[in-house]
Amino acid sequence: MKLAKVIGVVWATQKVPEIKGCRLFVVQPVNGVDMKPKNKPIVAADPHSLAATGDYVVVVTNTDATQAFDSGFAPVNASIVELVDDLD
Amino acid sequence: MFLARVKRKVVASAKHPAYNGKRVFVVQTVNPEGKEKGEEWLAMDYVSAGIGDIVVCGGAPGVAKDIFKLDLAPIRTLIIAIVERIDYKDGNRYCTVQLR
Repeated sequence: MKLAKVIGVVWATQKVPEIKGCRLFVVQPVNGVDMKPKNKPIVAADPHSLAATGDYVVVVTNTDATQAFDSGFAPVNASIVELVDDLD
Repeated sequence: MFLARVKRKVVASAKHPAYNGKRVFVVQTVNPEGKEKGEEWLAMDYVSAGIGDIVVCGGAPGVAKDIFKLDLAPIRTLIIAIVERIDYKDGNRYCTVQLR
């Protein structure tokens, strides 16, 4: 689980049926302590329509990303699971 | 598994149903002396940790699903222990760090 900032949207009409109706975002992983960008941006699926451009989100990667979908199966590598309001 | 210090709490209102009623913290890995080493992760609380605690974090696919008894759990890293004391060997010296 990583903190990331949504920096863009990926538009695609032709998608595998498992991710139909799910938006895809370009997210930049950030350091949770000083909020500085780190590593390269990745594409994350948003199965529960939580995020918009500019938001900070919690991203899960690898096997756990598929669990974010109601079907429990989707060919994705990263999913958005929380929209961050604030960090105490 | 890794040793980490709890740094911040993530406050979120819109979340995946599996995250309802659970706390997520920003944790930063530390070396055995308790000094912050750099890399930070997000981890879900399972032992009622607080900000500033040294904790053990870990996780594997499917673990969160079993312990929270959920059908779908997009959760990886969990805070699985709050550290009280660390004994380690630094060269030929045996060291103890008492945290609470």
